[in-house]
Amino acid sequence: METGLVVDKDAGALADTPPGPGAADLSIELGGLLLTNPVMPASGCFGPELAPLFPLAALGAVVTKTVFAEHRAGNPAHRLTETSYGMLNSVGIPSPGSESFRNGLLRRYQESGTHVVVSIGGLLTPEYYTVAEDLAEEDIAAFEVNVSCPNLERGGLAIGTSPERVAEVVAGVLERVSRPVFVKLTPTVSAIGAVARAAEDAGAAAVTVANSFSGMSVNIHSRASTLGTGAGGYTGPGIKPLALKLVRDAAAAVDIPVIGCGGISTAEDVAEFLIAGATAVQVGTATFTRPTSMADIIRDLGPLCGRLGVSRVAELIGTLDQEPPTR
Amino acid sequence: MTAQPAAANPRETWRLVKLPRNQRPAPTAGPVRVLAHERLGDRYMALTLEAPAIAASAQPGQFVMLTAARAHENAPALPRPMAVYSRDPAGGTIEILYGVIGEGTRQLAGFAPGEQMYVVGPLGRCFEMGDSPSVLLVGRGIGTCSLTTVAEERARRGLQTIAVTSARTPGAVIGADFYRDRGASVVYAVTDEDGSSAPDSLFDVLTRDWDHAPPDAIMTCGSDRLTRLCERLGARWGADLQVSVEAHMACGLGYCHGCASGARSEGDESPLICQDGPVFSWQRGADLSPAAAGGADGQA
Repeated sequence: METGLVVDKDAGALADTPPGPGAADLSIELGGLLLTNPVMPASGCFGPELAPLFPLAALGAVVTKTVFAEHRAGNPAHRLTETSYGMLNSVGIPSPGSESFRNGLLRRYQESGTHVVVSIGGLLTPEYYTVAEDLAEEDIAAFEVNVSCPNLERGGLAIGTSPERVAEVVAGVLERVSRPVFVKLTPTVSAIGAVARAAEDAGAAAVTVANSFSGMSVNIHSRASTLGTGAGGYTGPGIKPLALKLVRDAAAAVDIPVIGCGGISTAEDVAEFLIAGATAVQVGTATFTRPTSMADIIRDLGPLCGRLGVSRVAELIGTLDQEPPTR
Repeated sequence: MTAQPAAANPRETWRLVKLPRNQRPAPTAGPVRVLAHERLGDRYMALTLEAPAIAASAQPGQFVMLTAARAHENAPALPRPMAVYSRDPAGGTIEILYGVIGEGTRQLAGFAPGEQMYVVGPLGRCFEMGDSPSVLLVGRGIGTCSLTTVAEERARRGLQTIAVTSARTPGAVIGADFYRDRGASVVYAVTDEDGSSAPDSLFDVLTRDWDHAPPDAIMTCGSDRLTRLCERLGARWGADLQVSVEAHMACGLGYCHGCASGARSEGDESPLICQDGPVFSWQRGADLSPAAAGGADGQA
């Protein structure tokens, strides 16, 4: 490699040219949307700032950082720390507020040339509705309702662990928007199928499984938490087996698509999640390790399909050779 | 890139203020070849990378992110931000100095010449160079790596630079030869070992030598104590102060918001080190409320 520049021409081409003869078809259908491939970023782990590094149009979709109704400053430092096989963050979702987002950052996401999924959040249920109303008329492919951030003062997990409250938020957002609504679930529940079913029954088009796991680490010299708020969300390769199991359980519980999320960093990881029942995937921490990870994954996915004996990546979905758990 | 965010000090009455939007060349990302990788003195490693795009565009004070995980591996998860110690646009190379202090830098130290290392850069805001006839650079330890190219760039333009490089021991002094060969007209290499690095001694020496012709600007990196010293010198001489700050980072580009510099103020996120810095103007703060006393909040 002669320089640091590795914009991958093949990855870019995936977005606008149909697969040629013999090449694998990476397209998937997700909640009424046709995606050129199943790879999208996890909310909070992506921004239009990545545009100089690889062609964003190559992605199946882009997902925004969670938008709140009002401006949020986020949490105090320290906001992140590395840990075994991943990282902990307590960023606390700084947000410009939905009106400012609509007039600024949203435009930059729309320039990506692929589907824009807007993640929306709230500390209280009505705040989700305010964001939905503020963005209802915008050119947005889908909404992802974040009911699972572990780093908020209130709301977040408290909503995501309750099937009733998840259903209430989903139904309320759906009353206000005409786009598909995905729901990002928390992994911190004993039976994810029940929450996934509540989202499905309320009208969700897909569930994302899952957000980060609550975690912490301690500085043994200062005896303080390494994060400013004391604890945060654990992400990265270490959570992959945990997320995979949750995806299998959620996929067994619902008929709507599941978007797998948790520690995915290679095309092989994507195939694992698809076989376990996911229809699409989100990539988070791997983009921090290498900002071009998603382009690399998409580039590798076609040849991997060939090696796995499928001509369409969608043929992998839900093909786990095992009796599903009972609903 | 090596100073702790000075914002962490509750008695702080100074604060980080974002410099005006300055030159920010588009970053590149991908594997580059390791050309040389060797021990330097008793504490550091010197890494030379074949990275023509970064060598051609990096501005003084900008940084790169080095991924310590090898190809097809994903730990450690977070890349390490490092200042560009020197760059050779003609030869297409950059040099980075770092100390082996944790798991990430231990893994970085294992890369041999010929191997590929994933690098993103150049990133962040550079020092505002201006046309000051005389500038004082004050670096501590590896923090000096943010300052060396300032001296080089100024020498190219025929401008005078005075450089202080401070370390615990003579073997840990960074950049003294670089400064002498490639830029600074006067170099103070000071150490804890002989006591010459003590801020009060440095204050005495620098005021004795330069009160008659004080520098117009001061740039510092690597030490809270030396930042305090620079405040005193800046106030005495009427010189502006710029500080390069370090932080753990995830994205290096701004979208993850992981490297906010200090406590948030009422409603505003404090500056992000990667995107709003790492170089900031260091200005006496107005009123920092007790609520914000965890740090010096800048104006984003």
